[in-house]
Amino acid sequence: MSRRGYLIKRVLQAIFSLWIIATILFFLFRMGLPDPTAALVTEGLNAEQRAAIRAQFGLEEPLWRQYLLFLGNAVQGEFGTSFSYRAPVADIVWERLANTMILMLAAIVLAYAIGVPLGAWLSWRRGSRADTTGIFVGLMFRSAPMFWTGMIAILIFGVGLSILPTSGMRTLPYDADGWWDKILTLDFLWHAVLPVLIVALYYLGSPLLIMRNTMLEVYGEDFIEMARAKGLPERDILYKHAARNALLPVVTQLAVTIGLAAGGQVVVEVVFSWPGLGREILNAVRTSDFPLAQASFLIMAAFVITLNLLVDILYTTLDPRVSFQ
Amino acid sequence: MTLPPFLRAAIVPLRIMMQDRLAVIGLCVLGLIIAMALFAPVLSTHDPRHINEIEDGSVLSRGVDGWELQESLGPLALNDAAHRAGEAIIVGRGGLAWAREGTGDWVPLDLPTEADLHAVALTPERRALVVGEDSVILLREGGAWTPVTAPEEVRLRGVVWLDGASALMVGTGEEIWLFDADTGAFTEIDSPVGRGFPLQSVALDVDGTALIVGERGLAVRYDPADGSATLERLGSTRDLNHIHIAEGGAALVVGERGTLLRRESAESGWSADDAPDTRAMRAGWIGDDGQAIAVGRSGLIMEWDGTAWQLVPTESERHLRALLVTGDEMLALGSDRFVSRLLPPSREHWFGTDHLGRDLFSQNVHGSQIALLVGFLGATLVVLIGTNVGLIAGYYRGRTETVLMRTVDVMYGIPFEPFALILVLLFQPSLTIVILAVSLLTWRTVARLIRSQVLSLRERPFVKAARVAGASDLRIMYLHIFPNVLPLVFLELAIIVGVSIIAEATLSFLGLGPPQAISWGGILHDARLSGAWRTAWWWNLPPGILIMTTVLSVFFISRSLEVVANPRLRARQ
Repeated sequence: MSRRGYLIKRVLQAIFSLWIIATILFFLFRMGLPDPTAALVTEGLNAEQRAAIRAQFGLEEPLWRQYLLFLGNAVQGEFGTSFSYRAPVADIVWERLANTMILMLAAIVLAYAIGVPLGAWLSWRRGSRADTTGIFVGLMFRSAPMFWTGMIAILIFGVGLSILPTSGMRTLPYDADGWWDKILTLDFLWHAVLPVLIVALYYLGSPLLIMRNTMLEVYGEDFIEMARAKGLPERDILYKHAARNALLPVVTQLAVTIGLAAGGQVVVEVVFSWPGLGREILNAVRTSDFPLAQASFLIMAAFVITLNLLVDILYTTLDPRVSFQ
Repeated sequence: MTLPPFLRAAIVPLRIMMQDRLAVIGLCVLGLIIAMALFAPVLSTHDPRHINEIEDGSVLSRGVDGWELQESLGPLALNDAAHRAGEAIIVGRGGLAWAREGTGDWVPLDLPTEADLHAVALTPERRALVVGEDSVILLREGGAWTPVTAPEEVRLRGVVWLDGASALMVGTGEEIWLFDADTGAFTEIDSPVGRGFPLQSVALDVDGTALIVGERGLAVRYDPADGSATLERLGSTRDLNHIHIAEGGAALVVGERGTLLRRESAESGWSADDAPDTRAMRAGWIGDDGQAIAVGRSGLIMEWDGTAWQLVPTESERHLRALLVTGDEMLALGSDRFVSRLLPPSREHWFGTDHLGRDLFSQNVHGSQIALLVGFLGATLVVLIGTNVGLIAGYYRGRTETVLMRTVDVMYGIPFEPFALILVLLFQPSLTIVILAVSLLTWRTVARLIRSQVLSLRERPFVKAARVAGASDLRIMYLHIFPNVLPLVFLELAIIVGVSIIAEATLSFLGLGPPQAISWGGILHDARLSGAWRTAWWWNLPPGILIMTTVLSVFFISRSLEVVANPRLRARQ
């Protein structure tokens, strides 16, 4: 298959996946919440106002018409008004998604930046105490639930030593013109330390162990023997010859991880009060804010699929051995 | 030794696992946790849902910043205290009493009774009277305690010395008895009401009369000059629990629902004060300099600041029943059974208690049940679906494969955690929906892995041979191919057990776990919700450590299963 044909096929697949997910989501919500406006009774809306909202979402129409309406709106990026924020859903969701992505990407980059060299080093010291400890610690953080490590980190650094902020993205109150203005500050960096660290520690195990194991396989290859025979220093063999060739499985794992990053880590966002998309979904469904919940999930899924697609395409470009099938 | 072939086949992987020290540790730890889940009712020291209460001889002392808990005086509640001439006596439940000379240590008194004691009074000549339930009256004369026989069955609540020889006692049947310590004679005084209202407390007024308070705002003044008892109006119809009259004439009566009646001096009248809290108050103390304290249930302490009553924060939940004020020292005494909230680990509660006084050790032990149930059930479901999808897709190929693998592709577009959240929130948390939420998406990985393995297996000669021999598709899939992917299946099972346990803990932590079930994530949810987790470390640590240990042991096992499944790994170990 040609490269061009492969690209078209992958894009079509992605669109198909998104359509299926949107459909599942639509019917899931209609089954779980037959009357989404029921939650509005507590907001003090009377029957007439509720009827108006029902009409706005087309809830009086037959199911198939509702479905088409939903799909049509979704394609145009029109998700209605949030019940609880009283603002267009799309605006809220995009900002939350950006918050989630910056947290996740920072954490993933950190985890791989530490995990890959550390894994290579551990493989070099295989069988030693450092190796065992490294594997143990990596697996330990992989096994500990993040909400718990987060709570412990808050206890130690926030409550005990009180050196790091433990909630939100900025110290309140603050004013910022737009998202970038909010992000490009020391205060933000300071707030991001703990959540990023907790997510990174969780992700650390994968690159660490994959790198270590692949390195062990690479050591058996002939070109390493060759390098040794040339009398190169061990350090050069490790990092220049072996590590480069062991990178592929780690990159694969990195691609998968980034692909799923938009899904975020809901519990970390909850524990650190990080205004991310996962936390927004949780709050939205708790408050029965169905336009927000539906849109958040759909956009999240769209982002996951798009990221997967991009990573796939990038991957085929980077590694010519991967066939376009 | 000859073994059946299937056993011999099982021994090789087992031996490989046994060579891996981490895997052996993992197996042992997992075994322990499974045993913990199975024997949870036996292992747990308490009912995990039971709200624990304890009784304690609690002493709170007025410090510079507030009332601080002191070392307990025994395991029984303290009910009343009195002091005179450098000596102080505290009496409590179960015939318990403590005495102190000056500012020395409290020494237990050996009293000839086991009944609950309610009141104590002292004379300057060191005579002492203790009264209580079951008609108990004890008189101390020259250091020896002797029981005095009451003229009839009575439950005495208050006692006061009128002079060096005669004392007035009041009881729950509206008894007012005059006792002569020299002769041992009792005189029953007729109450002006006479309807059997319980009398709770008595105090000596500055003019030599005694003022008695009781239920429904009842107040009776006894005048020893003419032996009469007359009704007095204090201005409340609430149950009155305690009266204290200072030497200069200031007086304080406390009662139910925040009743505070105060008299500035012997000449002024009674006035009802506004209380900042409407719980029951059990004891009051007033000084002639305007200082006043009232204490009551659940650690309630109020102080009069000259213009109003102020609630004083105490970190104690204890029910306070008496006040002992000697010079600068102020002690609040209690406590009958109170909910033992947020207790740090002790011999009674190994992992402490939570905000409702529930035993955390038992909760943690019971939590293993849900974790393992969801972990193993969810993982079995996942592996069952994933393996079959993988087998069918890999074996049949063609359109079947396309449909199945496109489904898997779609599932990779669904973020796991948010999807599980939505599923549980839309369909009400229950064990079934939690297991479904955990397993509905996870099988995607298993299906992909098994399929890729089956793709290569189906081209092998033994499959072709079976096909030529006329074996059906099902037979080839499940009898010829499946045993060859079995190590991989077990590996995936182990990994997904870990994933499911964490997923269940996550849902429970967000408050979406199986309702009414005790789970590790649920314990952490409670801790976070109560806000006490920032101080109660014993609440946070154990569930997390348990989750981590369980998942870690499963990971260790899966690592050695990986070696079994992939023989190439064996060489480089």
